[in-house]
Amino acid sequence: MSPPDLRTRGRWPPPEGPRAAIVGSRRPSPYGEAVAEQLGLELARAGVIVVSGLALGIDAAAHRGAVNGGGVTVAVMGTGVDVIYPAAHGVLAEAILAAGGALVSQFPDGTAPRRHNFPARNYTMAALADVVVVVEAAEGSGALITAEAALDLHKEVMAVPGSIFSPLSVGTHSLLRDGAGLVQNARDVLAALRLGGEVLDDPLATPKNLGFKLPGERDGILSHLSDVLALNAAEVARKLQLPIAEVLGRLTALELDGAVRRHQGGYVRALRRGKERA
Amino acid sequence: MLVGLDARPIHVEADIGRGEVAFMLVGLAATTVKEARERVRSAIRNSGLEFPTTRLTVNLAPAEMRKQGTALDLPMAVAIALARAGKAAPPHSAFLGELALDGSVRHVDGVLVAARGLSTLGYERVFVPAADAAEATLVDGLEVIPCASLIGVVNHLLGAEAIAPAPRGAFVCVAATDIEHDLTEVHGQEEAKRALEVAAAGGHHLLMSGPPGAGKTMLARCLPGILPPLELAEALEVAQVRSLLGDLPREGPLDWARPFRSPHHGVSMAGLIGGGSGLAQPGEISRAHHGVLFLDELAEFQTPVLQALRQPLESGRVNITRSGGSVTYPARFTLVAATNPCPCGWAGDGVRGCRCTPGAVDTYQRRLSGPLLDRIDLQVAVRRVQLELLASEARGESSATVRERVVAARRLQQERQGCLNAQLKPARLRQLAGLAPESRRALERWGAHRGITARGFHRAWRVARTSADLDGSAQIEEHHILEALGFRLQDVAA
Repeated sequence: MSPPDLRTRGRWPPPEGPRAAIVGSRRPSPYGEAVAEQLGLELARAGVIVVSGLALGIDAAAHRGAVNGGGVTVAVMGTGVDVIYPAAHGVLAEAILAAGGALVSQFPDGTAPRRHNFPARNYTMAALADVVVVVEAAEGSGALITAEAALDLHKEVMAVPGSIFSPLSVGTHSLLRDGAGLVQNARDVLAALRLGGEVLDDPLATPKNLGFKLPGERDGILSHLSDVLALNAAEVARKLQLPIAEVLGRLTALELDGAVRRHQGGYVRALRRGKERA
Repeated sequence: MLVGLDARPIHVEADIGRGEVAFMLVGLAATTVKEARERVRSAIRNSGLEFPTTRLTVNLAPAEMRKQGTALDLPMAVAIALARAGKAAPPHSAFLGELALDGSVRHVDGVLVAARGLSTLGYERVFVPAADAAEATLVDGLEVIPCASLIGVVNHLLGAEAIAPAPRGAFVCVAATDIEHDLTEVHGQEEAKRALEVAAAGGHHLLMSGPPGAGKTMLARCLPGILPPLELAEALEVAQVRSLLGDLPREGPLDWARPFRSPHHGVSMAGLIGGGSGLAQPGEISRAHHGVLFLDELAEFQTPVLQALRQPLESGRVNITRSGGSVTYPARFTLVAATNPCPCGWAGDGVRGCRCTPGAVDTYQRRLSGPLLDRIDLQVAVRRVQLELLASEARGESSATVRERVVAARRLQQERQGCLNAQLKPARLRQLAGLAPESRRALERWGAHRGITARGFHRAWRVARTSADLDGSAQIEEHHILEALGFRLQDVAA
């Protein structure tokens, strides 16, 4: 089935090449966001066109990664191509266009965001991609619609595993149980796209290749923090049997060093150092 | 008469002249005062006194001031009775009270305020309704004559039968007031408890964000218990506001416990800030003076109502202008606000997921941002405590223990600067709250890293000063600054 007529901005059709859709929650954990950005970056570097939906969260991280990787990325929108939604993504949309990517939409110009338009957009996204990678999706997430569409269209569906404690893993884990491809790094996706490169079976070997940098273990607090589930200062203090005032101070010091981040009213380990995004 | 917390004396003159029967009342009397003619006439007759049968003129001076309220009943009746008896009023004496038709004297609001005002104006004796006598005796150096009935007052003034002055109440400062909600009742939540301690010690405002059932209300109710009891002057100021509203208990009008007010989020501007027709009445913020104002569901309050909090938060008083004039009420309270992180309340909860769209969460949080949030020094996320912790026996510190540290830290601040840290302006902060070099570096690094505003910078500095005071440390060390920087909400839901 061919995708419906599209309104486009930027370079369309995009250069020849494999296309991978990266989709997922609009409210990911820092882990999911880091994964999406990393996958976007590495796939773009490998010459894969990254397709996503310009939404908050996973979508934005994937686009951003692809742009940072110097690659072409396509945003499939649920609004008219001239209506950036969410409005905060105006800058990101410009960056996508500037990097040689495109904004495309099956809806007429001027279409405002409407709840019922997004499932159709999700279907289009699947149609435009060769493989759909789901990164963090809670039960009932729109990303699962894209995955279902991909199955209908006989395209490959892959998923990134998450923490069993996180509600954001429910969707991805059920995909994996139903036979979706396991994604532990960009190579897994490249293999699914028949772009060669050996698949690494040893997940412990991946962090180096993927470029994730875990913060150094020079602080006892860090070893008690997770990178998905937030703990607050009181919980850390209780585990370490330290006074709360001291723990609050040390957590802030770690935050200042970029080793931890605020998340959901608590703290999580930051997966990488470096400058904070706004 | 009272204008806000100011007392304005009114001279009541009565003249019985020749002419046909009439009762003239002059001197810009409002309807409530004009009605007094009927009460005064009946009260005098039913007290067994004779009402003048010729032309009677009662003048209220100064004539250009509009008179309101029923407290003028008693002075008018007394003036008439004295005029008939051909006696002058006793010197340096003031009268206030409402009359019943049978001649008994009824309660009026604001007796304490009136008594204090009269005392500073040089009056030595005040005649008040017997029901309000205890209130008036709180004022030093003022003789209080409790009036049960008009005839009693007249007999007293004519020398027939003296009324004994009300005994001065024995108001010894009670060392420990009962603590209604003790911190030991709150399991876990050490982070929020620490924030409460810092808020109490430095007078900082506090915002708690967390899902329903996390214990935000319970925590807020613990704050009065870790604050020192009111001082005499403070207790009098609190009692004055309550007196104006007629809300003082008859026995033991002085209450040493800090007020705790928690208006519902549907509260109107007039209810929260003060207002009403004519002259403004004090609102919730003035009732919370020297105490705690708890605003639960902060985002549900009307935006203009929240905006109106800015001036009192800054200055500790509120100025309200109504048709009847402009009044100023005290409003130095500690604001404790609580909010859900999103409309459904469950964002950030590990177990239950949030069902709000990101846009809705954004809009919700934006309601809280801006100038009001800028004035709240301490912000803390409160999470639900796991059930096993609730069942555990482990108890935290009691409110009494925490209060000892709070009192010590407050004393340090009073000795150093004569006010609490929360009230320090940036210039005095620089002068009084020295930073150790590494503390300054931490603060500057944070500023460079996160683009923190000047207000945020000083906010952290003030909180760090309080944290150091709780430690008894003269200098602000790095860990004090780091702790202070930790007390801010960012990324509440995402």
